[in-house]
Amino acid sequence: MKVSELLKNREESWRTLEQMCATLERRGGQKLDGEFVARFATLYRAACADLALAEAYRLPSGTVYYLHHVVARAHNQLYRARKFQIGRWGHELLVTVPQRLSRDRALWLAAVVFTLFFVVSAYLASSASPFTDYARTALGEAFIVQLEEMYADPVGQRASSGTAPGMMSGFYISHNMEIGLRCFAAGLIFGVGGLFVTTFNALYLGAVFGYMTTVPQGVHFFEFVSAHGPFELSAIVISAAAGMRLGFALVVTGGYPRLASLRMAARRAMPTMGAAMVLFFLAALIEEFVSPSQLSLGVKQTVAVVSCALLLFYFVVLGYPQQSHAA
Amino acid sequence: MSVRRQLDTRIEVITPEHIAFQYRVAGPFTRLPAYLFDVAIRGALVAAVSFVVVAALSSIGLEGSGIGLSLLLWFVVAWFYGGLFETVYNGQTPGKRIMMLRVVSIDGRPINALQAVLRNVLRSVDAMPVMFYTVALVSCLCTRRYQRLGDIASGTMVVMEERRPFAGLTDIREARALGLLQRVSIDYAVGSSMARALIQYVQRRENFSAGHRAEIAAHLGKPLARQLGLPAETDSDLLLCALYHRALVADQTSPVEVR
Repeated sequence: MKVSELLKNREESWRTLEQMCATLERRGGQKLDGEFVARFATLYRAACADLALAEAYRLPSGTVYYLHHVVARAHNQLYRARKFQIGRWGHELLVTVPQRLSRDRALWLAAVVFTLFFVVSAYLASSASPFTDYARTALGEAFIVQLEEMYADPVGQRASSGTAPGMMSGFYISHNMEIGLRCFAAGLIFGVGGLFVTTFNALYLGAVFGYMTTVPQGVHFFEFVSAHGPFELSAIVISAAAGMRLGFALVVTGGYPRLASLRMAARRAMPTMGAAMVLFFLAALIEEFVSPSQLSLGVKQTVAVVSCALLLFYFVVLGYPQQSHAA
Repeated sequence: MSVRRQLDTRIEVITPEHIAFQYRVAGPFTRLPAYLFDVAIRGALVAAVSFVVVAALSSIGLEGSGIGLSLLLWFVVAWFYGGLFETVYNGQTPGKRIMMLRVVSIDGRPINALQAVLRNVLRSVDAMPVMFYTVALVSCLCTRRYQRLGDIASGTMVVMEERRPFAGLTDIREARALGLLQRVSIDYAVGSSMARALIQYVQRRENFSAGHRAEIAAHLGKPLARQLGLPAETDSDLLLCALYHRALVADQTSPVEVR
């Protein structure tokens, strides 16, 4: 058969395939009818075959380019992005992630670094410190004045002073999660970025906590932070650790090419990041509705204890190494 | 499904049907306008929804809640706009759709939700320092597929969705070329590599001046004229056109049997 005849025969089906692609691209999620799908698949296979045999058919190169584009376009409609699978994510979050986290050396490292620098910084900022100016130097005069003003009144009174419920939770959620995501992203810089951010957060928060023990406003401060503290601080450490996993994967590749190692680590780090996001979200809810409320200190402390217990349950019970996963 | 080789911005992808087709990878400066569109769209979206929410809630005396909701919305949109759209719209955000770009895995498969979210969360590293996207630019220049760090980590690349018009055979309008064909021996069959050369030439000859055509066609035309026993002064350009016609339009013996 002549090429001209072949083109005449095939052109119509290529154009139909193109039109079907356009229909598919425009469609807003409504169901397709079976006939359409079957016809699309047939035409796609036929176009693929034509492209494969283009050389043998002696198709002109203009036609070949056209075919490349038609096949690519149809390919993108046939093979589609996998959607969010809620059920699988739940399993990931409650089974796989705690297992992974309890064995994750990056998390241990981040936790140890955070605790260590936090305690040291808090000690230096407290009244027992050998350097009396530490807190003022570390935090800056302006911030200290702001802190003292913020916690000047007893905690319950601020809730009644005009802010509507929900006003600040949006702010807390976005602000805290943003810190978390930054910690995560910083880890990509060979893990050093994550360590730096963790150390910085520990020193800064440590200085605030230490300084607050030396002033009378401290009572209000501790009443305010105790309820949401456990979730929030854990989430910051977890997100930094998840980011460090990415960075370390670039350094310790386990025999894979560096980029492949990074990709695998990234796939594993995403659910961990999801766990951190859930913690941030819970922390923000507590920070909005429990921490500034008029509930008694005892209730807030109970919330803190319960959240610590939940965290321990997550990491120790759910995360206890199982035989099947140990290999 | 794998990627074989790459000479320029074309990436060859092999589908599960074992067909190789090509994508053009999008460089940083094709992607910039798409990004700017996205920034504009998402700014307008948040502004509009925030306005409505705050107005609605403050009319029932919950102004604060409206602001809180708007802040939450801003956060979600800022960090998950790309991830959400690229999952739902198969690798495209509205900006990418306008610029006809698409995110796919480096092996040509569509991306999944995890990859879409990851590449957009890591945007914050790519944007360093302060939203100038210097890291992304350097990373794009250093990788074959113009990947920023988020792309590298999630194993994705951005390709151009090309729209090409159908291009068939080139018509030979010169009657003299068809006349010349009468004088070429009926036994002469055009081989496949010769056919390829003829296709390349005839497709482009419209763009050349007569002098250029003669000059280019002479390389193949002169030896051919000698081989076919035609006079030496035969017009090489017309000869090539004639053979093109015989090979693709009027050839009686086909190289492959087509159903």
